[in-house]
Amino acid sequence: VPGVADVTGDSLSASLIRTAFLTATRWKAMQTRTARAYLQLHALAASLDMFKTGAVVPWVSYLFPTEILSSYGITPMIPEIGSATITGSDLRDQVEAASARMPLARDVCSYHRTALAAVENGMLPVPTMCLGTTPLCLGKECLLEMLATRHNVPFREIRVPLPPDTGEAPPEIIADVAEQIRVLHDDIGRWTGRKSNLKKAVELSNRASKAWGAIMAARLAGELEMDGRKTFALVFLGQLLWGTEAGADDFERLLTEKGRRDLLAPVLPEGRKLKRLLWLHTVPHHDRELFDLIQKRDAVVIFEEMGQMHLDTIDPDDPFPGLARRLTDHALWGTSARRARLNVTLAKQLKVDGAVHFNHWGCRHGLGSVPVVRSAFMEAGIPFLAIDGDALARGGPNQEKSLQQMESFLELL
Amino acid sequence: MPNAYYTCNLLPLELVVRAGYSPRWLGEHLQDPGATARRDALSIHPMTCPYVTSLVAAADALFDGGPGEDVLLVPGGCDAMRRMGDLLAATYPGRVFVLPLGRSSQEGVVRTLASDLAGLERWLEQKAASRRLAKLPDFTGREPPARLGVESGPAPGSGRSQGAGVEGGPTSRLQVDARARAEIEAQTGTTKQTPRVDYPSPPRPGGVFVVAGPLTDDSLLRLIGQLGAWVSGLESCTSPDRWRPLAAAGAAREAIPDPPPGAGAAPAADAATAPPHDYHAALAREILAAGMCPRRSTVERRDYLVRRLEASRPSSIIYARQSFCDPGAYDALLVAQLAEERGLPYLEIEVGFPFEASGPLRTRVEAFLEAQLLDDDLLDDLLDLDGLEPGGLPDDLDEEV
Repeated sequence: VPGVADVTGDSLSASLIRTAFLTATRWKAMQTRTARAYLQLHALAASLDMFKTGAVVPWVSYLFPTEILSSYGITPMIPEIGSATITGSDLRDQVEAASARMPLARDVCSYHRTALAAVENGMLPVPTMCLGTTPLCLGKECLLEMLATRHNVPFREIRVPLPPDTGEAPPEIIADVAEQIRVLHDDIGRWTGRKSNLKKAVELSNRASKAWGAIMAARLAGELEMDGRKTFALVFLGQLLWGTEAGADDFERLLTEKGRRDLLAPVLPEGRKLKRLLWLHTVPHHDRELFDLIQKRDAVVIFEEMGQMHLDTIDPDDPFPGLARRLTDHALWGTSARRARLNVTLAKQLKVDGAVHFNHWGCRHGLGSVPVVRSAFMEAGIPFLAIDGDALARGGPNQEKSLQQMESFLELL
Repeated sequence: MPNAYYTCNLLPLELVVRAGYSPRWLGEHLQDPGATARRDALSIHPMTCPYVTSLVAAADALFDGGPGEDVLLVPGGCDAMRRMGDLLAATYPGRVFVLPLGRSSQEGVVRTLASDLAGLERWLEQKAASRRLAKLPDFTGREPPARLGVESGPAPGSGRSQGAGVEGGPTSRLQVDARARAEIEAQTGTTKQTPRVDYPSPPRPGGVFVVAGPLTDDSLLRLIGQLGAWVSGLESCTSPDRWRPLAAAGAAREAIPDPPPGAGAAPAADAATAPPHDYHAALAREILAAGMCPRRSTVERRDYLVRRLEASRPSSIIYARQSFCDPGAYDALLVAQLAEERGLPYLEIEVGFPFEASGPLRTRVEAFLEAQLLDDDLLDDLLDLDGLEPGGLPDDLDEEV
């Protein structure tokens, strides 16, 4: 069976395999006709294009305003998504072996370590440019700039000051970040020689944001119960498609019951109530057991912290301040106290039974904020569990430990 | 005089002294690892670097039950340090100031840091003003007011010069600078309250170039000496190549004009956005120029390291990396590459904080240095052969060398 390893390059065989991959995914999407399946199809299609010779491949941080790329018809290469995809594919063993050989310390974030191993060993396309944002962590900025240096391509960083603990970032900060995005947008045009249609990209992004914002508002209001594990994956992959026609269509599919039917929270028989969990930070992408356990114990991840993005539309005629505000006021940016306050408010609004923080391997900003977040939840009387793990791992001692912790936590609830 | 503990020597100490605080490097106040921890001691995730882990414990021990006037200043260059500041700020409200540090020296980064430095100065002055108010004699017979919160704004007219008086009363800028300098000099001379490591013997070419995070002392350098090698240079935030220029720059700053009256008296809420005075911009530029740490832009850091390697002309490189340090991890890759480009032997060791030059670490350094000495001996043998043959080394041996 051909795998991801065979899709690279411009050979006839690579082209045929890409087409075969897409056909299989398209067939699945056409059968289910859900937003999730179509989004997977379109994310795959856009990503496979990056494996073609001569493709423009911007390696960008997870929160990068990708609309400024889609305005040029360019798909972003996000290390976290690349790593999660590769480790879920037939290349897993190869990338793990490459990662083990690498001289980079093993205690850094596994998303970034894996991405580096993958690109240095021909499993992910090499960068044409590397574009970072100070949110959310320093590690990925180190990775992106190091890659840019190694491959002799431009590196830019959008500097985003920390927001105040309460309220929004002040207008001068927004203006400064907006100006940086504007300059970068122009630079990308100069580097690639392409013509931008930013207004259209922002209009398409707004269609998606409007739909996603409506879904999130309904979830917060308790009118719609979705499985946060699945919606996490949707938003995670969706990062590749903001500002594209396909992305707009896919997010709008969520507005119909049919389009979102594979994302809904389970309904227990005899009117029994599910235990509702708020999930903080990333998820273990390849370990089903934790979420199987949650389901088996009549619980559900009812909401995910990371889903809180692109909830508002922005002005297509003056998009840079809107794009800037998404960075400055992002829910995970700022102090630990800010993160704690926002999440406790969220938990109260959602009336969750408990909150779970996934301590992803090597994530200093996530792990570092846990003591403050935990105290805030304890003070609010909301049960809180922090479990250690690696978002890219499958099994292992950490998984066993986290399963035991989760089991005890669910019993407590 | 209350203490202002700090975690990084990029902090301009004269700002601290002018506000009436005695600057103390937190690294000098570490807890005994064997001591029994308090039941309610702060705990952080084990996947945090030893430096931050030790400093959290130190600050927690100092602040819990310690003088309520002491403060902690945390220049946050990396995620772990920033989160350390967050944790301590949440635990000890109103006593911790986190100063974000950028990754480059671009004008925008300078502006942001200048603004944050102005904010730090205002914060310190407000605390000093609150302290002075609390100590005023009360002629009404009532108890003196409790400590004022920083949110209440500065005392009327508390500009930089006025705020500089240590125990009340306006003090001139020159008096303050003299006092600041005396304070800093006194500390560096006897009480050792700044993070300073010096070379046990003068560095010279042909030795080991050491790259490290913060060090408490020179034990790694001494270890290299004990093992029969010498040091060509030390690149660390606590190295003399960092603190000497910083100390000199501090003295030179006296020439910079005073800020206009009231520049330090803006409300705390505006701290992040108030236009900084030239003084703070100059300070920011200086800090960013000096602070070429691993957190910095790869390009700038690489250029800086190349310059240092060219100046010190080492024969090998040792990278003493703290575990769970992200900037250090990527920096070690960069240094390994620089070593490879120059054909220099390279060793990466994982170290703790404080540094302990014993056990397996000593063995690794010893083996690394011995291998080099062996290489040198072989080279000497070849050169001896060279001496026997007037025409030089035979071609095949020449290539091997």
